[in-house]
Amino acid sequence: MYKVSLLTRDGATIAFDADPSDTLLDAAERANIYLPSSCREGGCGACRVSRASGDVVLMSYSSVALSEDERMAGDILLCRAQARSDLALRAPFDEAAVGFAPVPERRATLVALEPAGSGAVRLQLQYEDDPTFGRAAQFTAGQFIELTLPDGSAKRSYSLANAPNWDGTLELFIRLQPHGAFSDYLRDRAAIGDTLHVRGPQGQFTLDESSAAPRWFVVGGTGLAPALSMLRQMGEFADQRPCRLFFGVNKVDELFALDVIEKLKAALPQLVVTLCVWKPEQEWREFTGTPVEALAQALSSATERPDIYACGPPALIAAAEEAGRAAGVPHDRIFSEKFTAA
Amino acid sequence: MFCYQCEQTYRSDEAAGCAGAKGMCGKDATTADLQDILLYVCEGVGQYLHHARQLGATDIDADRFILFAFFTTLTNVNFNAAKFVELIQEASQIRERAKALYEDAARAAGATPENLSGPAAFAPADNMAGLLTQASEAAVRKDAAILGEDAVGARALILYGLKGVCAYAHHARVLGEERDAIYATVEHALDMLAREERDVATLLDEALALGRANFLAMEALDAANTGTFGAPTPTSVRVTPIKGKAILVSGHDLKDLHAILEATKDKGINVYTHGEMLPAHSYPKLKAYPHLAGNYGGAWQEQQKEFAEFPGPIVMTSNCLIEPQPRYRGRIFTAGPVGWAGVRHIADENFAIVAQAAQALPGFPEDAPEQTITIGFGRDAVLGVADKVIDAVKSGAIRHFFLVGGCDGAAPGRNYYSDFADEAPKDTVILTLGCGKYRFNKHDFGTIDGLPRLLDMGQCNDAYSALVVATKLAEAFGVGVNELPLSLIVSWFEQKAAAVLLTLLALGVRNVRIGPTLPAFLTPALVAVLVEKFGVQPIGDAKSDIAASLARAA
Repeated sequence: MYKVSLLTRDGATIAFDADPSDTLLDAAERANIYLPSSCREGGCGACRVSRASGDVVLMSYSSVALSEDERMAGDILLCRAQARSDLALRAPFDEAAVGFAPVPERRATLVALEPAGSGAVRLQLQYEDDPTFGRAAQFTAGQFIELTLPDGSAKRSYSLANAPNWDGTLELFIRLQPHGAFSDYLRDRAAIGDTLHVRGPQGQFTLDESSAAPRWFVVGGTGLAPALSMLRQMGEFADQRPCRLFFGVNKVDELFALDVIEKLKAALPQLVVTLCVWKPEQEWREFTGTPVEALAQALSSATERPDIYACGPPALIAAAEEAGRAAGVPHDRIFSEKFTAA
Repeated sequence: MFCYQCEQTYRSDEAAGCAGAKGMCGKDATTADLQDILLYVCEGVGQYLHHARQLGATDIDADRFILFAFFTTLTNVNFNAAKFVELIQEASQIRERAKALYEDAARAAGATPENLSGPAAFAPADNMAGLLTQASEAAVRKDAAILGEDAVGARALILYGLKGVCAYAHHARVLGEERDAIYATVEHALDMLAREERDVATLLDEALALGRANFLAMEALDAANTGTFGAPTPTSVRVTPIKGKAILVSGHDLKDLHAILEATKDKGINVYTHGEMLPAHSYPKLKAYPHLAGNYGGAWQEQQKEFAEFPGPIVMTSNCLIEPQPRYRGRIFTAGPVGWAGVRHIADENFAIVAQAAQALPGFPEDAPEQTITIGFGRDAVLGVADKVIDAVKSGAIRHFFLVGGCDGAAPGRNYYSDFADEAPKDTVILTLGCGKYRFNKHDFGTIDGLPRLLDMGQCNDAYSALVVATKLAEAFGVGVNELPLSLIVSWFEQKAAAVLLTLLALGVRNVRIGPTLPAFLTPALVAVLVEKFGVQPIGDAKSDIAASLARAA
């Protein structure tokens, strides 16, 4: 057994023992400490922390989740690392992101399934009443859930697009992949009334409530979902700070949720939305280019440095981080969640 | 930030006060700085209102705003930085209105309006970044080098005492009880702070004036509570859960509790009180609601564990809020002056969403074994048996009364109060109020001639009730309050307790024991004045303090 000490961004120390044959994530869970994570197989980077001292071995992982530079700088993935000595770690998240109870597992019924622009669908699920959790959909805006197909054959994680609610409603926007197990189900077999297994909420891509800065969301495709959730929450709370949304797709017919965005503008009168189409194949009056290009333009004339929330494919996140850096937005004011196709 | 207003403020050998990125209460530096600025602008409002009042002109809405604004800055009330940016803008507009009120009144009286300086002339920025650059102009210890440490400490005593007065007066006001004399005193004190008064004797006199105003505020609140909900009567309260959907209501605001009871009527939802809401069960018009089911949990500092385990929504109507943990952040609501960024706030007293949340959450799966405590010994209840009490004192059955009351907190030294209550001889009666009682209110103290030995008088503001009882008993015995066989053992944590202490001092109540530590803002010289002039004593060891109290009385 080795001693692991993890220092959170807000200065809390979380300590647990780790058996060298356990991943650090599993070791923490044995101590009833549920650290932020998602895929748990080295693919997403949600459990990345930096190592101040000590040795680990890392099992195989994707370079999307942990780049060579990051690894050289001492970063590790909790789901892939096994302790080889006592460890001192530094986490990029607050203590509030750490769960001290297992992630809830519940059942939900599919109540709506409809197209959301070309190549994507909108899903609405209804939580079943549960003796431990009731029927409430309690989560933090921006979090995701992991869905398991009715036959148990595949699991995928998707961000929630709606705000937490007492009706037990979950709304998701999902891009259909050509040969994805979940996409195939949605395209071919899904029926209203199906029961799906839900593990969640999880994730730390949530609003930094301690910051008073303007909030700018830069999202690509279904990366819009967590931004919608956060903006809807801000709308419900009548948040008055400046906020912007840069929403990008490749083609005009891929745009979706425009009705939701219109309602958001009513709830948040200060919200400025820039719809971006990379390669419009028809007449397009709004921004032509990527949402990060629109972000970079807006940053160049910004009077106040915003917090940037980026969600989409890895390339979009990297570009958004670069644009933020170039405009002098501190690294720790850029929050992101990568979407990887599975 | 620099803040030393509460008992748990950071203390080291060199200095006391929270001055880092976050205070001990969880308030961050941004919020602390904005609170300082809000209070500073309110001093400016007070300057104009005070001057206008000398000319017969008043603005009651401005006074009401000051009560609310001050209340938001009490310990464990509002942690939402964005809210303070809004309040500062509002304060600034109200100050303009107060200025016009004063200047018009002066001109009407044929005089040239004075140009007021200091907070009256301070121009707050209209955004957070700008405001934060101005924080040093409004800091509590600004000009300490000029004013001197004793004056800074005495000014802090006034500022924090004011907060307590404002909180109580606000609670009374929402139930329709206001006292113009309170507003006049608040304005006077704000004007004195704004003028940078540095004469310590003058400042201490002002603190006592606030103590008297606080007596009025507690009287107004007593009138508001009993006028609206009836006089408390001894009541048995269940302290274990009942199967079913549940809401937990914390804080001090009985009006909010009433609105929640109305919003959940006939919906199969049980409403539980938490912390200082416990006395609600003794008010006839509140306990008439059959779904006011019981009391849950202990004092405020246990909330992170207890709220996480509560299977329904939680409503925080006033202090004490501490950082909502992820396990319940989505189901805790704030109301009135309370706030936390990212936590839903109910500003319009419409608690329908809380009822909806209770129905969506699981509730208690089963009944816990029944356990009850008895509360509700307010002034009417105690004076109703005054003859019996007087006889028991005369016969020697009751040797002494101890008022063990005030706030609770996490400091280890606070077990003094439970030790004190437990060790008090069997022929003594313990009166209690505030949330400090949770350390011993489930203990069995037995009875004396049929009278319970532990009498729970209510919330911290029911110190008024205790003072009324003490005064009446003193009259009956033909002595002064200080000659009664009564000792006050006070625990303090936040600024309402500071105001209550000022009230005790202003009314000439001597020999109050206070702990677990003395306020960090009081300098040794100020403490010496309290000790010499008012007989205030820091707490020591429970057994010896009991013995000393009994020896003094003998």
